Amino acid sequence: MSDDAADVQRVLAGDVDAYAALVDRYYDRCARFAVRMLGNRDDAEDALQATFLRAYRALHRYQERDRFSAWLYRILVNQCRSIAARRSHRERVFVREEALLLNAPDRTPNWTGEEEEFVQRVLAELDPLLREAFLLKHIEEMSYEEMSALTGVGVSALKMRVKRACDRLRERWERIKND
Amino acid sequence: MTDSELHPYVELIAREARRPVFTDRMGRDRVMAAIHAEPVPRRHVRLWERVLEPRSFRLSPAGSALIAAGLVGIGVIAGVTSTNRDVRSPDGQLPVADVRSHLPVSDTVVNFVFIAPQATNVSIVGDFNGWDATKTPLVRAANSGRWTVTLPLTAGRHLYSYVVDGAWNADPNAPIAPDDGFGHSSSVKIVSRGSAL
Amino acid sequence: MLAGALGLAVLLGARPTAAQDPDPFSRFDQGTRYTIELLIDSATAAGLPSQRLRSTALLGLSRKADGKQIVAVVQKQLSLLRVAKSALGTSDPEELSSAAAVLEAGGKPGQLNPFRIKQKGRNDLQAFAVWADLIERGVPSDDASMAITKLWQDGADDDTFQSLFRNVKSDILQGLNPGTALQNRIREGPGRVSPSTVKPPEGQQENQSSR
Repeated sequence: MSDDAADVQRVLAGDVDAYAALVDRYYDRCARFAVRMLGNRDDAEDALQATFLRAYRALHRYQERDRFSAWLYRILVNQCRSIAARRSHRERVFVREEALLLNAPDRTPNWTGEEEEFVQRVLAELDPLLREAFLLKHIEEMSYEEMSALTGVGVSALKMRVKRACDRLRERWERIKND
Repeated sequence: MTDSELHPYVELIAREARRPVFTDRMGRDRVMAAIHAEPVPRRHVRLWERVLEPRSFRLSPAGSALIAAGLVGIGVIAGVTSTNRDVRSPDGQLPVADVRSHLPVSDTVVNFVFIAPQATNVSIVGDFNGWDATKTPLVRAANSGRWTVTLPLTAGRHLYSYVVDGAWNADPNAPIAPDDGFGHSSSVKIVSRGSAL
Repeated sequence: MLAGALGLAVLLGARPTAAQDPDPFSRFDQGTRYTIELLIDSATAAGLPSQRLRSTALLGLSRKADGKQIVAVVQKQLSLLRVAKSALGTSDPEELSSAAAVLEAGGKPGQLNPFRIKQKGRNDLQAFAVWADLIERGVPSDDASMAITKLWQDGADDDTFQSLFRNVKSDILQGLNPGTALQNRIREGPGRVSPSTVKPPEGQQENQSSR
């Protein structure tokens, strides 16, 4: 039995604090997805709270044969979708720093607020469905089968979305590199 | 699409996006605070939900006779299932306890009648049997087109329909509900609280 | 409760039908199932009758609707229940279900306001059922609202509402305009079972429950 499944069993047996172990294991990773997907901390926080709460309530429905991370991500993806649907469009912002980053090959990325913002702005330009597919494939590094089970979307449609996301990003590069 | 196929710019975005997002403990603590305020999830929640759902069952001829004699309105307990082993005593016997002391607010038995002289099969579907056409057949009275079944129902609003040789028919004598969204209008039965035994 | 119930069942010689399918929702495809469970979860969180949504989902299965349609219908049900709860201020699942049907038929949320005040020994389930039925049969929504509300406020009981339903239905089936049928019956007092003033057209069957 995996750690996840064991912790789930403990919670169902009445050990509520065992849920903290699951939260600790997945919080950061889910936070990363939520922030990248929604583009701001507040919305991401809401998504995370709702996700872990709903997962807790639905715990008796989790079946060991599913990967817990996939099961949890299904809830997370849907929470992000609801929250995004409630928000208005973000303004598209164009950033020039990207060219500098690309031209410094030996640079080990250091964590700064500006870089996060640049990535967020780029991702925000993608249609939410394309963004979601891109994140699941290239940031969460899931297989298309997993993504399909999680989102309810067919594999070929997902491949198309990921391809389109990459196309948009490439087009963006073509635009900015000529400036 | 493997990483080696990604355009360098796309690879850059992906790499940046893969970097961890800073989180502090506050979010996690808030989650656990909310969790502690929740009821503990139980493995067999669904089992109990099912047990408390209204069940349909047919009364024996003796029971039906009682009803036919005009004793509709005798309280009957809903939610009965004999497949629930938990209520058996250790030696496997069914308890026959004082019914009165265990009665919740009692509800009613309802006699459903549908006239269909040419039909081969009539059953009833509703929120009391998961809309399953195989669960609750009606019985045809000999030499007549009168099909009946008697069901105990909990107090409240119930939706139902008759299935006549596969076709769904509303009850012509009952109020209709708006189209259910699936191309059919069900019939409505309001059951008020009956009197206790 | 179960012990006593089984005792009674033994006394009546009841034979329960086969145990219910342990997991009827397993018949849904994964995506549909998941979305419906989430909607049911939302209902529970909002104090709305999740059992009603479960039943709707099963109805969709039985009607052989596809997953997308079932989700849409369950979603709509959830919204109606929300509005009903907001309008009535109650948590009673049966009342919310009945009121949601009124809204679905075409009643307006504001028209539910007179039913906010709870009266001991009375419930509005029958009133709401007849209200929705009248609209479904073609009575203008506002006319139905006014008639039902007035009866309710005058203290009408379930039998009165049922008589009104039967009489108006009978009149409509005999060819009377629905709005007119309602006005006639309201005017003469809905509790009285009097013959319709409309002569049935020649040759029309009166026994509507046969097939």
